Order: sequence, then C-alpha cells, then structure tokens
Amino acid sequence: MTIDGVSGRTNYLGSSILNLKSQLDTLTQQLSSGKKANTYAGLGIQSSFATGLRSQLSMLSSYSDTATMLNTRIGVVNLSLQGLIDAGSETKTAATGSALTLNEQGQTPGQQTANASFSQAIALLNTESGGRYLFSGRATDTPSTASADAILNGTTTQAGLRQLISERKTADLGTNTPPTGRLVTVQTGTAISLSEDATGSPFGLKLSAISSSLTGSTVTPPPTPAPVAPDPPSTESVDLGTINPKDGDKVQFTFALPDGTSESIVLTASSQTPLPAASFAIGADSTATATNLKGALDAAIGNLANGPLVAASAVAASNNFFDDPPQRVGTTPLGSATTLVAGTPANTVSWYTGEKGADPARGTAVVNVDQSIPVQYGARADEDAIRTQLQNIAVYAAVTTSPSDPNANAQLTALNQRVEANLAVQPGAQSIQNIQSDFAGAQAAIKSATDRQTQTSSVAQTMLDSIEGVDDNEVATQILALQTSLQASYQTTATLFQTSLLKYLPVA
Amino acid sequence: MGLSQALSTAISGLRANQAALALVSSNVANAETPGYTRKSVTQVQTVSGDSANVRVTGVNRELDTYIQKQVLTETSGAAYADVRAAALQRLQGVYGDPTTSGTLESSYNDLTSAFQALSTSPDSAAARTTVMNAAQSLAAQLNSTSQGIQALRADAENSINDGVNSANVALQQIASINTKLLGTSGNDAASATLLDQRDQYVTQLSQLMDVRVVAGDNNQINVFTNSGVQLVGSEAATLSFNPQGTVTPNTQWSADPSKSNLGSITLTFPHGGGTVDLVATGAIRSGAIAGYLDMRDNTLVQAQAQVDQFAASLSSALSNKTTAGSSVSTGAQTGFSLDTSDLQNGNTINFSYTDTATNTTHNISIVRVDDPTALPLKNTFTADPNDEVIGIDFSGGAASAAAQLNAAFASTGVQFVNPSPAPNSTIQILNNGSGATTINSASVTTTVTGLTGGDAQMPMFTDNGVPYTGAVTGAGSEQVGLAGRISVNSALVSDPSRLIVFNTSPTTPSGDTTRANFLLSQLTSGTYSYSPSTGLGSTSTPFKGTLLTYVQQFTTAQGQAASAAQQLADGQDVVLSTLQNKLNQTSGVNIDDEMAHLLALQNAYSANARVMSTVNSMFTSLLQSV
Repeated sequence: MTIDGVSGRTNYLGSSILNLKSQLDTLTQQLSSGKKANTYAGLGIQSSFATGLRSQLSMLSSYSDTATMLNTRIGVVNLSLQGLIDAGSETKTAATGSALTLNEQGQTPGQQTANASFSQAIALLNTESGGRYLFSGRATDTPSTASADAILNGTTTQAGLRQLISERKTADLGTNTPPTGRLVTVQTGTAISLSEDATGSPFGLKLSAISSSLTGSTVTPPPTPAPVAPDPPSTESVDLGTINPKDGDKVQFTFALPDGTSESIVLTASSQTPLPAASFAIGADSTATATNLKGALDAAIGNLANGPLVAASAVAASNNFFDDPPQRVGTTPLGSATTLVAGTPANTVSWYTGEKGADPARGTAVVNVDQSIPVQYGARADEDAIRTQLQNIAVYAAVTTSPSDPNANAQLTALNQRVEANLAVQPGAQSIQNIQSDFAGAQAAIKSATDRQTQTSSVAQTMLDSIEGVDDNEVATQILALQTSLQASYQTTATLFQTSLLKYLPVA
Repeated sequence: MGLSQALSTAISGLRANQAALALVSSNVANAETPGYTRKSVTQVQTVSGDSANVRVTGVNRELDTYIQKQVLTETSGAAYADVRAAALQRLQGVYGDPTTSGTLESSYNDLTSAFQALSTSPDSAAARTTVMNAAQSLAAQLNSTSQGIQALRADAENSINDGVNSANVALQQIASINTKLLGTSGNDAASATLLDQRDQYVTQLSQLMDVRVVAGDNNQINVFTNSGVQLVGSEAATLSFNPQGTVTPNTQWSADPSKSNLGSITLTFPHGGGTVDLVATGAIRSGAIAGYLDMRDNTLVQAQAQVDQFAASLSSALSNKTTAGSSVSTGAQTGFSLDTSDLQNGNTINFSYTDTATNTTHNISIVRVDDPTALPLKNTFTADPNDEVIGIDFSGGAASAAAQLNAAFASTGVQFVNPSPAPNSTIQILNNGSGATTINSASVTTTVTGLTGGDAQMPMFTDNGVPYTGAVTGAGSEQVGLAGRISVNSALVSDPSRLIVFNTSPTTPSGDTTRANFLLSQLTSGTYSYSPSTGLGSTSTPFKGTLLTYVQQFTTAQGQAASAAQQLADGQDVVLSTLQNKLNQTSGVNIDDEMAHLLALQNAYSANARVMSTVNSMFTSLLQSV
C-alpha cells in the first residue's frame, strides 16, 4: 500500500467519511423520533403495506366509534321498549282488577293509572340519544309523537282522541232514545225484522247472525257477505208463524260491535209473572207474542247500545285515531253519519310525527359496523306493536264516564274487558318483544364485529409499528458501531495526512 | 573546448534544474487546484563538441486520456443521477410524512372516517361539518400536492435555463482556448496551462450534458453531442432556452413549437449555420440538463397524472350515475332505448353487441364531445382495455348524434334511431332485425350535477366550481391538472345538510343514510380502472382497485422510484469518485513525489554548481600558473 493520494483530493476516503456521517445523522434522527423514516421512500417496499394498515386502523377506529354510539342508542331503545311493555302491563293489571268508583273527572283508579302510563309511554318514545329521536324512523331530528296532552285532548284547532271518541259514540249509538245502535226494528204481523240503517255504514251494531228455537218460527239470516250500496241495508228477521212459542223457547240475535267483538242478545219466551230478565211474554196469539218480543228486543238493544257498544265505540275510535291518516265520522249530524273520512292535519292531531313509510322500520337506520356488516337499528313509533300498545292504553286513559249515568258500570266493565284482552299478546301479530329481539340481534352483530376488530386492530398496530418504527436497541447498537467506525476513519485519515515526506525533509 | 565547455554544460544543467524546480514549485502550489495535471519537463541532451549539454524542450502533462474520457462520461451520468435523485427526494417531501397527518392518504382516511360517523349520526350537524372539513382538507391536500409538483417542474425549467447559460460559457471558453492554442506548439508551460483549463471547461460541460470530445490537429478539440451535433470547433455554437415563467399541469413541452408552452433548447450554429432543437431531436441524453428535462417532461408529468387521476376518480365515484337502457323493439329490430338528456361533455354511453356470424362481442363506449376538434378519440380515452371508444359530437342534438353514429357503425348491423317527435333526447340502439347482430346491453353514465335531484350520487367535488364530467376538448382532457383545481362544491359547503337530503320533494328525513352510505361505499369499496398514463398498469391490463389501493400503489411507486434514484446516484458517485481517484493517481500531484524530486533537483543543482566552482578554481589555477 502506498500513501499516494493522501491529500485534499482523497475523494474516496472523504466521501466514505461523509457517507458514514450521514448514516449516523439518519440513525440519530430515527432514535429521537422513534420512526424509521419521514418519507414514503424511506419506508421502502413496505410503504404500500403500511398505507393499507394505516387506512385499516383508521377505519377500525371509526367502526369502534360507530359501535360505541350504536350500543348507546340501542341501550336507550331497549330501555324505552321495556318501559312500553311495563306501561302496557300496568294498564292491563289496572283494567283487570279495577274498582269501578269514578272520581270527579269521571275516571276509575285504573284509568288514572293508564293516564300516567300513557304519558310515560309517550315520553319514552320521545327519548333522545345525543339529539337523535330513536322512534321517528329516518326523521331523527323530529320527535316521534305529539304530546300526550295533545293526543288525548287535542289542540285549539285540532281534535284529539277524546273528541273522536265522543264523535264516534254519537255516530255508533244513533239519535234515538234509548239508543238503538243504528238498528231499526219493524214488526209486520208475526214477523219481526231487524235492519241496519244504511248499507256499508261502519257505525253501530252490525247484524251477524240470528237463530231461533221458537216453536214454529222461521228465521231469515242477514245476507253474507254484507250487502254493498246500492243494495238495501243488511236485514234479518224472525217470523213466529201461527203457532205461539212454548215456555223456554229462545231466540238469539248476534251483533258485531265496531271494535270487532261480538255480543248476543238471547230472549226467552216465558209465561211467568213477573217476567224474568231477558224474556218476553207469551201472548194470546203469535202476533201478540211478536209484539212482546219486539218490546223485549228493543229494550235489550238499548242496554247493549248504552253498555258494551259505548266501550266498543271508544276502542274503535281509538283505532281510528291511531290510523294514518286518522279516520273521523264523516258527516254531520254525527248521529246519522254513514262514512268515515280521513282527518286532515288541520283538524285532527297526528299522533305520529316521525317519518312514515311502508318499508321495514328497522331499515330506517343502517350503518356498517364492519366493511360489509350492516346493522339495522331503526324504529318507528307507528310500528304495529307499539301502536297497538299505545292505542289501548290511550283509550283506557281517554274515556270518561259520568257517575250519574245508570249504564256507567256496564260501560266500564265492557271497557275493562276490552282493554285487558287487547293488551294481551296477540298471536301472529308483532309484539314489542319481537322488536326487542331485533335489537338484541343487532347488538350481537355489533359485539362480534367489535371483538374481532379489537384483535385485528392490535395485530395491525403491531405490524405498522414494526414497519414505521425502529428498535431503539438496534439503532443504538448501530450508532455505536458507526461511531467506532467513524472515529477510526478520522484517526486513520489524520495519521495518513501526517505521514508525508514533507515532515521528514531537512528544513534548510 | 575544455574548461569553458564544462562550464557551459554545467550552466545548461543549472538551467534545466531551474526549469524543473519551477515546475516542482508549480506542481506543489497547484496540488489542490481542480483540473490541474502534474507537469514534468522534457529534457534532451545536445551534443556540443565532446560533451553533451542538456536542454529543456518542453513541458509534459501527465495525463491518461483514456481515463479522462471515462471520467467525462461518468460525470454526465452522475450529474443526471444526482439531479433525478434530488428532485425525487423533493417530490417525496411533497407527498408528506406518511406517519403524520399531512398526506393524501391520511386526508382520505379522515374523509372515510367522517363518512362513517355521518352514516352513524346522519342528523348530527357536527358529523356533517366534519365530513365537509375532511372533504375540504382532502381537496386542499390535492391542490397543494399539485402545486408542489408544478413548483418542482418550474424549478426544473429554471435549472435548465441556468444549465444552458453555464453550458454557453463553457462552449465559448473552449472555443476561445482552441483559438489561443492554434499558434502554439502545445508543449510549453503556457499551452499546458491552457490545455488544463480547456479540460476543466469540458468537464463542466459534461456535468450539464453528455458530450463527445474528438481531438483534432494543432491541439484543437471538437466537442459533439452524443447524437453527433457539433457544439464547438474553432467556434462555439450557441445554446438558447426560452424559459416560461408560468408552469402549470396544462403547460407541457411539445415537439411542435406551436403547441409547446414550455421552453426548448435551441442550438444555433455560428455564422448563420441554422438551428437545431436539441430537446426535440433528443440530443441531450445525460447530464444535469437531461435530468431536469426528464423531470419536467416525464417524471413530474406522470406524478401530476397520478394525482389528477385520483382527483378525477374521486369526483366521478361520487357523482356518476349509470342508468341501464330499457328494452325496445321496432318491428323485427330489438335493442335498447337510452335517455341522453343528462349526457354531458365527457359522459359515456356504453353498449355491447355480438356479431353472431363470428360470435364476437364488441364493447363500445360512446363519449359525448362538444368540441369537434377533439375528435377522433383514442381508444385509451377510457381505462377499459376491452372497449372501442368513439367520440360523438352531441352539440347538434340527439338526431345529429344518431346520424353520426349510424355513419360510424354503418358496416356493423347496429342502428341508431332518434325517435320523433324532435326534439327528443332518446337514442335507440337497435340491431337490423336480420339476426346478424344482437345488442346485449346498453347503459348511459351521466354526471349528477344537482344536490337534491333525488339521486344518492352528488357532485361533492367540483372542478373550479363546475361538476367534473371528464370533458374533452381540442385543448386536452379536463382531467389534466384537476388535482390543482379540485374544490368542494360550494353549494354543499354553504348547506352541509345536502349530505343527507337528496330530495326536496318529499324532503329526505334527516336520519336517512341512503346518500351517506352510498358515498361511503363508493369511497371504501368501489373499484375503478386507472389510466396507464399514471405509470401503473398497462394499456391492456390497467390497474384496477379501490381509491385507497390506488393511492397505496402510486405513493409506493414514487417512494420506490426515489430510493432507486438515490441508490443509482450513490452508485454513480462511487464510480465517478473511483475514476477521479484513478485519474488523480496518474495525473494529480503527489507531494511525496514532488519532495523526492525536489531533493534530487537540489542535489543535481549543487552538483552542477560544484562543477562550476571546480571549473572556476581550475581557471584560477590556470591563470595563476600562467
């Protein structure tokens, strides 16, 4: 080896030292920042992988936020649904065991419970979770329902449930005193015919069947299916014929009530005195007996109309009110109306104020909790189960009965029965429990996605750190090695520069 | 004869020693002067009577011309590689630090996260604003990336100008030294210095561009470009460059001067010898100037194309709506009916038909073009490799378009009908009823321009305020430079509720996630084809993937290019410094050598002087004895 070339132009040695120095700078930077590089180029071939991982982590973090948000919302929805179930069962219990004592507002203690339950149910349906109404379908910025007070009592311009119940009561009972439930009884000789007052009218009692064990009588059942206009109204009759019925012979009239229930009037021929209840006196001949039968029938219809029909009318009115659009008695005078017409937002309270639609309510809020795992968690207050619950609590809460009404007890008993039956779970219909199980399914999907994402996230983070980050020990070791190498180079260079013939030449 | 002869010989020895000493001192003094080659004396003996005098006949440059040539070549290569490596490193700076938030991918990830949050809470004003902010920051990121790339191009343009100026100086100096050397022998000290200087200028020139040096007679050199154009002979040609102050994605160099809006390097031969465009002829292949040209016209143009493609795919992904045609038949003819009323400049009609005789399926993309000078379109207008692209001028309405289409498809058995009454924007694509062709499908892809037209699609991003449709004009494609102009739809900025509300009659409820979910899925899972002009994929198999994988691909490709360029530059530097080292070993000054030489000269000088003093004493003795 020669020492030739040791001068300022020792490029190779010089550039090697510079190279070492710049490596040292890079390593120092890595050590202080903890990162391998600050450019894509510095990450090398793995930069693409790192980009993918960062995007994945970013998405996972968003999914995690979504899952947290969803769990909160579904939690709130579940609480509300549980509250609705409780409100329903409280009302049902109240209706079952209620005393029939009326307070000054004309309501039983059970109805007062129902009032509280109804307000509670409406409040639950309007619960917000982070400014979001959960039972309004897609209209999450709108409360789901009108206020409990507006629903029951209406506003200054719009009718509420109580007004609809009262209107329908008039329409169902008719204008006669005692009420005839919109039926007309006519006696023609030995025959008594019973007709509805108008074809296709939804109001009053509807003829459904007639049967007779009266000796020698013939019955004409009402036409099935029910006639449609312009045919004459439905009619049925019983003709006693020429033979007088015997003691104990019976005739039964069955009526359909507006709420879909049916009631029967059974009248028994009797020669006893005084005449027992639900009986008619056997007269001198069959014509006289027919006259007695008509009298008994009219009285029985009057009782039916003043009792169960009032309750059934209220239940039907509640059903009409909770329809979309609400159905109101069509024409005035109310007592002779024969049609239901749709109420307008101007004249009737719309109880449901959220988004309406024929599509499944769950689909009104859809969000992905993973790349391809959508979770549906929308709900609408007008879903069948919730609506049925509300409608029945509402009618129980809305009906008021005058303590002076002699038929008060009959009406209240009929109402209690109906509310109790309607609040029981109806087979085949959607129940609130069904909605709850939908949400439980969504929660399970969220949980399994979250569990998986937590694992994926930790694996991805570890991988990303291994690509982007540096091992402090490794870097420190490299720095030491470089330092040694650099010092050696400096030393060697210095020695080489000193080893020049110049130093050994005589000065003079 | 005799003593005086010895004296004269000694004097000649002293002279030679002095000349050699002068060179030693000049060698030592210039040991660190770049381009200095070690000089040595050429001395010969001259016979005068019985003795031999010594005479210095000239000065020798210790130069290995073979290595010098190699150094020249590698100097160009190293300069080229250094320029590229430096520019690509700066480009890496434009893309940002991948581990921080100032990158395209992080802005993009922020946008998808914001959409996910919006999809979770569509009614939340905060979630909507977050989406708008994320979208604006993505647009701003694209703008600044585009600006960064164009700033690099502008720098390249300026650097070319500086390079051309330096090259001119070198060329003139070489020519001037050539002239000076013409009258000299070339082996005296003065001409050796001139030769050194000239070599130094050649080296300077070779840093700028690759040159070939051919030695002529009388110490002349001729410098040529590697393509054979003479730069310097006895006179220098002049390079000129017309730098452009404004460099944008749309300003591009073209071999056609009327279309070029960036500078080109022109070589003007002396004495009206004409001009040559060195860029158009590809004469400069290496050196710093070639490096800058490559950056300006290729590498950075491609980098811009990459972000433009991203901006375009991003805009179209959110705003483009494809509607399938409805089946229609007229007599025996069957096909599809398409509504072209929403078709805009750059939008496409796609249909496929099968030639039943050969059972060949053709996929056709009909592009609406409003500027006839843009026609005909190339097949590469769409990234789809399997389609045949035809541009149709729709400015005359559907009837005129149908007529143009019928002319274009006259031999195929496909017919286009614009049913009356006019004006009717419907176009029916029918077979001719003979069964020779079957129309398989037809659809029309349009850009949704309104925010509340009832479509989940919306123009979230706009090109300077107008919806991006991919329009093509005679001046070029709308896509070029889109990244620099992209902005968030101002109507959306002023009313972020439109992120949810896609219909005003009836008004979309605020919890409706239809639009948010659609946009999110377009961003995260929609796959698109990307033009091969981005450097990814090829014309026959274009790169296809989600927007994110595309970002992944091009950032990695750029990163790889930067590291590769750096490695190449490092390697080139090693080669160059090795060669320079070698050159220095043969032609550089070695102080040890010079010192040893100095000792020898000193001794020789003393010896000569001793001879003289001896002769002197002998003369004295002689004179005293007389």
